[in-house]
Amino acid sequence: MRSIDIHAHSTPQCFQRAVLSGNDWHGMTSADGELFNPRNAWTPDQRIADMNSLGVDIQVVSTNAGFYQYDKEVGVSTAIARDCNDEIYQMTMDYPDRLAGLANIPMQDANAAIAELDRAVNQLGMKGAMIGDQVNGKTFDEPEFLPIWQAAEQMGAVIFIHQGGSTIGSERQPRYHVRNTIGNLADRAVTFAAFTFGGVMDKCPDLKVFLAHGGGYACFGIGRMDRGWQVRSEARANIDQPPSNYLDKFYYDCLTHSEPALRMLIDSVGIDRVVLGTDWPADMKIDWPISWVMGLQSLTLEEKEAILWKNLESMLGL
Amino acid sequence: MRSIDIHAHIAPAAASHLPEGQTWHGFTRQEMKGRQFLVQGDKRQWLHPAYSLTADERIAYMDSVNVDVHVLTTWVGMYNYDLPGDVGAGIARECNDYVADLTRSHPERFAGMATLPMQDVNAAVAELERSVNELGLKGAQIADHVNNKTLDHEDFLPFWSAAEQLGAMIFFHQEGDDTIVKPRDTKGWAIDNSIGNLSDRVVTFATLVFGGVLDRFPDLKVCLAHGGGFTCFGAGRMDRGWQVRSEARELGANIPSTYLNKVYYDCLTHSEAVLRYMIDSVGIDRIFLGSDYPYDMGIDEPTEWVNSLESLSQDEKEAILWKNLERVLGV
Repeated sequence: MRSIDIHAHSTPQCFQRAVLSGNDWHGMTSADGELFNPRNAWTPDQRIADMNSLGVDIQVVSTNAGFYQYDKEVGVSTAIARDCNDEIYQMTMDYPDRLAGLANIPMQDANAAIAELDRAVNQLGMKGAMIGDQVNGKTFDEPEFLPIWQAAEQMGAVIFIHQGGSTIGSERQPRYHVRNTIGNLADRAVTFAAFTFGGVMDKCPDLKVFLAHGGGYACFGIGRMDRGWQVRSEARANIDQPPSNYLDKFYYDCLTHSEPALRMLIDSVGIDRVVLGTDWPADMKIDWPISWVMGLQSLTLEEKEAILWKNLESMLGL
Repeated sequence: MRSIDIHAHIAPAAASHLPEGQTWHGFTRQEMKGRQFLVQGDKRQWLHPAYSLTADERIAYMDSVNVDVHVLTTWVGMYNYDLPGDVGAGIARECNDYVADLTRSHPERFAGMATLPMQDVNAAVAELERSVNELGLKGAQIADHVNNKTLDHEDFLPFWSAAEQLGAMIFFHQEGDDTIVKPRDTKGWAIDNSIGNLSDRVVTFATLVFGGVLDRFPDLKVCLAHGGGFTCFGAGRMDRGWQVRSEARELGANIPSTYLNKVYYDCLTHSEAVLRYMIDSVGIDRIFLGSDYPYDMGIDEPTEWVNSLESLSQDEKEAILWKNLERVLGV
């Protein structure tokens, strides 16, 4: 059986060469890039060896989220994105059967973001882009982002949503790793809401949006979002249907760290919408992703195959 | 069959019937766009029209939805943690005397929870003691944070100690739209409420668990409103964080999911699938009926809804509708 992982990160070697020799890299330093995790320093060969040990056939590689750098001047962010994308492209050229790529794009400037997405998809053969849940405080319902969604829709590029930096709740509770364990999941529910209540999914019906971390709290919180839509007119400003009707318009990775949560996700959004996502090589990853999925007793073999490879194979042409 | 609702709000008559031109603890009453507000400085607290009901009118409503008992909590406009401690204490005393009067005049229909001036922990402890020991209230409702201080802060240790000793239930409920989602809800799709309330509650669960509060006070009775929010669904990722990050193990003794059945929850989920998931995660003895009367985000027909759920057994429905609260609060 095949396996394709949509949620796998890298810290570019070109960044590491610069910062580890004492230089800065487009203003970034060795404090960036999650180098405290030794696996982020691994070469592509070492990555492939680890994939072999995990039983993962293909990684769809994105950079670590620290490379978003949306708060920088757009020329700097664009240069960062280009270097990241060129390196991931080279990885996919070196290992065409094992690696595919997701681009980094400078979201603070729609024109620059579209230009780099176009280059990444149409020249470099990447599958889409990974972006944050917000850009300098702006959520994705803002009209300035609409041209990006339309361009992505037209290119057939997937948009993979993954937080960068602080999350919802980081300020309320800065301790205990809540920023990640709760914040990532709350961020993703709010992004689901921004695309849905904001009318983006109606305007771009063929847009392929992936919500990392199982879409966070989106499917579990949908009942209350529906209630809000029913009783509050402002929640109906852009959409004629309740938010639950949009659950099966998104895609989700299976990174739930919970069998009942994954079962509920499948039952809520449909099995054709859930794909393998491990968060390699972060400490919050699924340690043995194939073994984990295969070991889930509440999933049928067909459901496991859909998650492990079939959904991504047909969607991304891998 | 009985039915007891842990999540039902009220306002003291002195506030809800405040004559125009008079002040009440610094508040005046103002009408804006057809709605009544209590106003003080830049604070603007919406007075829900249902708060003008008499006790008999409220009971008539309860009869119409087959609810026997409201465990009354004041509306969160009464928190006022940002006001000076003595002002907060004065408001809380008046709220608690009002609720206690209702429980005495209608003991079959009302029980009550206290309002506390959490900005002054000593005053909060004193008022909780008075409320429980002298007024017969069952505990208190508090917010998920007190002026941005979460409840794992060492300042609150005397509060938790007193609540445990008194056997007082502490019911967590956010203050209005002041949730962690608020900064990202710039368009008003009600997600500050629909996602925010649920996010705040899981942060509070994490605060009490990772912060070691439930370890230090093992007999503490905590109830998380809105079904505990995202708590049970998000437990897997909290567990993973506890396993791989030392800062997550700094204070809490055990993996977070083992605390799911140490706290209580209301059933306000707006989803049968979610309620079923909760029951399977936290245990049926931990879930109470909670309607959020009189708000639009509440359950319109709470007892009818619970009774209609096909994935729950009759025993499970009775546990939620009354048996659990009768046992835990002696209502």
